Amino acid sequence: MRLKTLVAVLGVGAVVACAPVQSGPTNTSTDEKTGQLRVWLFDEVNRGPKEAVVKEAISEFQGKHNGVTVDVQYIQVSSRAERFKAAFSDPKSAPDVAEFGNTDLAGYVSAGGFSELDLNGWSESKDLVPTILDTAKVDGKTYGVPWFVGVRALYYRTDVFAELGLKPPATLDEIAPLARQIRQRKPELIGISAGGKYLFAALPFIWANGGEIAKQDGGKFTATIDSAEAKAGVAKYAELIKDDICPPATCAGNGGDASVEAFRAGKAAMTIGGDFNRKSVDASSAAGKYAVVPLPGKTAGSIAPAFAGGNLLGVMKGTQRKTLANEFVQLLASKKYQQKMYTAMGNLPTFSDVQKQVSDSDKFLEPFTKTLQSGTKFVPVTPAWAKIEAQTVLPTMIQEVVTGAKNVDAAAASAAQTMNAAFAS
Amino acid sequence: MTARGQGRTAFAYLTPALLVLAGLLAYPIYQLVLISLYDYGQEQVSGGAPLTFLGLGNYQNLLGNQQFWTVLGQTVAFAAVCVVGTLIVGAFLAILATTVRTWVRMTLFLAALGAWSTPAVAGSTIWLFLFDANFGFVNEVLGIQGFSWTFDKWTAFGLVAAQVIWCSFPFVMVTLYAGIKAIPGEVLEAAALDGASAFRTAWSVTLPLLRPIILVVTIQSIIWDFKVFTQIYVMTNGGGIAGRNLVLNVYAYQQAFAASEYGLGAAIGVVMTVLLLVITLFYLRALRRSGEAL
Amino acid sequence: MKRWLTEGFVLVIAGVVAFPLFWMVLSAFKPEDEIISADPVPWTTRPTLDSFTRALTVANFGRYFLNSVVVALIVVALSILISFLAATALTRFRFRSRTTLLIMLLVVQMVPVEALTVPLFFLMRSVGDSVPAFGLNHLGSLVLVHLAFSLPFAIWMLRGFVAAVPVELEEAATLDGASRFRFLWQVLFPLVAPGLVATSVLSFIHAWNDFLFAKTFIISAVENQTLPLALQVFVKPDQNDWGAIMAGSTLMTIPVLIFFMLVQRRLMSGLAGAVKG
Repeated sequence: MRLKTLVAVLGVGAVVACAPVQSGPTNTSTDEKTGQLRVWLFDEVNRGPKEAVVKEAISEFQGKHNGVTVDVQYIQVSSRAERFKAAFSDPKSAPDVAEFGNTDLAGYVSAGGFSELDLNGWSESKDLVPTILDTAKVDGKTYGVPWFVGVRALYYRTDVFAELGLKPPATLDEIAPLARQIRQRKPELIGISAGGKYLFAALPFIWANGGEIAKQDGGKFTATIDSAEAKAGVAKYAELIKDDICPPATCAGNGGDASVEAFRAGKAAMTIGGDFNRKSVDASSAAGKYAVVPLPGKTAGSIAPAFAGGNLLGVMKGTQRKTLANEFVQLLASKKYQQKMYTAMGNLPTFSDVQKQVSDSDKFLEPFTKTLQSGTKFVPVTPAWAKIEAQTVLPTMIQEVVTGAKNVDAAAASAAQTMNAAFAS
Repeated sequence: MTARGQGRTAFAYLTPALLVLAGLLAYPIYQLVLISLYDYGQEQVSGGAPLTFLGLGNYQNLLGNQQFWTVLGQTVAFAAVCVVGTLIVGAFLAILATTVRTWVRMTLFLAALGAWSTPAVAGSTIWLFLFDANFGFVNEVLGIQGFSWTFDKWTAFGLVAAQVIWCSFPFVMVTLYAGIKAIPGEVLEAAALDGASAFRTAWSVTLPLLRPIILVVTIQSIIWDFKVFTQIYVMTNGGGIAGRNLVLNVYAYQQAFAASEYGLGAAIGVVMTVLLLVITLFYLRALRRSGEAL
Repeated sequence: MKRWLTEGFVLVIAGVVAFPLFWMVLSAFKPEDEIISADPVPWTTRPTLDSFTRALTVANFGRYFLNSVVVALIVVALSILISFLAATALTRFRFRSRTTLLIMLLVVQMVPVEALTVPLFFLMRSVGDSVPAFGLNHLGSLVLVHLAFSLPFAIWMLRGFVAAVPVELEEAATLDGASRFRFLWQVLFPLVAPGLVATSVLSFIHAWNDFLFAKTFIISAVENQTLPLALQVFVKPDQNDWGAIMAGSTLMTIPVLIFFMLVQRRLMSGLAGAVKG
């Protein structure tokens, strides 16, 4: 008898809640001035120097604020989607400050994850390069401070090229034959370390061939990854991940970090790497034996459009220490610490004066700044993009092609279908 | 005691368990079904967008998706291989264990207990390291350095299956061993006196007597292996190249947490539960047929 | 002669089964250059504690270890109490919904726990609004889910043990004037001890091994993370720190192994009891 009553009571309780739960409005009225500030930063190849700079910033910050501790957690870029989503879904458990990629911005903002920043009170903010600051804006509102600009170029091993009497490729189409030749003559080397999940290395191939990921029409996006031009680019990139250049067994599962890692380990003659990878390469077995050139375009002398990446520092919406979080973002993204990050990791600064100062004094940066000046491109600016990236739509397409699971046409068609579904939702 | 009094006491004893199970299992299961009927993405979760009731939309979507069927097929095949492997290895060793001296048996059991008690995360990582393309001991012994076990779809599945069998055969072995030991000695002696060979005794005397136990371990193995998550997630890095090593459980998790398709992820979870329930029905029927009361 | 052959074979099998664990412990003691050597060998001449030092210092392992122990022990204690009461009710009393309840106990074991991550996540979030210690980011949330997931099997298993205690004993105790409560804790409880041990092992392992819920529920509170997550710290974008991973795995496996060894006899009879119903 009683049991039935209990079951019935529970049943009623359950029926009352007859729709899935949603979180209520976030309460951000509290603004504590002490306690622990939680920060998420991305883990990197050879993270040590980054950690050292961050530690320095933390001790400066803690010195200025009594009773405040800053706790940094380094999270994996590859699993960031799950981490951030969990944080958005429970704002009170979320960290206060987070580093995030500018491609995720639109999606994160529409999920209500980051709070709008007011940079007016911050004197250094006027020197931020306007086009870079734009990558931190959604609908004219700023949600992050650009921490560094990430642009990629072609790293190659000068010793290998000299030994074989080779010159760096002059056009995009020369890369594959060149890499093949290197692997033929030095079978222990990967011709060019290209990863099946390394989307930002694949994009220039698509763009240089005249393709686009998607086109915007009256605010609506449609995938164009299945256009003839885009498919030509995909095919060109997929050609690199073949046994005679970069064996799929090693390369198909690699993202950007792992691709660069193979170059660092001295196992690859070329790779596509960013300014931010430079110091880690300098601290590897490839140190002193490599050079960087812009990734060439279709015609000799041209540069393939690069992806204008970069990371932002933002304040999470649910933070209970808004003032402290803002101050910490402004400290870590300040000219002083961007300069230090440049020295530590090679990250290209986002302040025009600091950027000019470092590129004037450092010949090494030339290929990267040249690439920047010749014009960069970006992924579709829509909340759907974060989802497309989290579903690894394009990397899956590349992997399907390189493993032979599908041909380029079929892989691109199904990628376009998934993308369109995301755009429509 | 009166029937009413019995009921009251029983109820008092059951209350804590019922509260926990109702609140932390029944209610979430109910929510799971509910979520699977809605378009439930990140914006809905954060409260920024209204909920849309889809009815069976997520299920239609799922059943019309080629990938779902591929993953379902893979899951069934993978679970089947793991279950059969676990049972064969476990049963074989349980029988062997009855024929050897105590110290040998204890050695085997200790090793098995070690495998059994290794946390899934640690176990998966150890196996990955043993089979690492460059630094792995297995490749060194086989002389195939640089060979990646986790790249090819079939070697990757094989490796994970081997790991799953490694950590789940001890349960089968120990249980069956206990079952064999519980068979009255006279029965076996009688068979031996009749001149039956060891194999015949095992096949026509021991086996039938063990039927109920074999049934239970089989069902338990099916339940466990159908739901393998950690091993696939850790060893194939979330489902392998282009997701070709996905099984349903990992697929559901990724749809929900990576792609924010909580509704779709929940629908996959419901489908899995229903499939397992069908298996349970067989289990209950078989239990009843073998004459056991609940 | 034939027995020698069988025994030799069994020992070889035992060796193969134990090998991954041996390799884990060995790698934990190897110096770094031997771990990532192109020619790994199954021994080391230069054992070192470096990997353990890294695991214990870098990843805050001690703290994670303590968290895991706390969660697992609370789950074990609660699940013993609750499942003992429930198993007694289900075997000693006849009431109407009994069979339904038993079937439901079986059914809930079918539900893939991973699928419940989503609803449980939201449930814990709401719980956290009123009782922060049981909400997301806190160890309490882990205790709750593991308790819920280990109960059905625990009750199912304990039933056999309670049933094995003769009813006459209860009658005798009642005649002696022992209260029902005293009988429960002073007579029945010790008698089903072997079953409780077996149950507690499985509950312990369940909580101890969990990777998914710790990963999903402990969002940003590093100080509340558990061991399986600590291992992930050494999985890096550049080169996995295999030494530290193996040292961590060793530290993580040892407590379970000890626990298992201590109770293995009872565990076996426990399992046999459970399967024979």
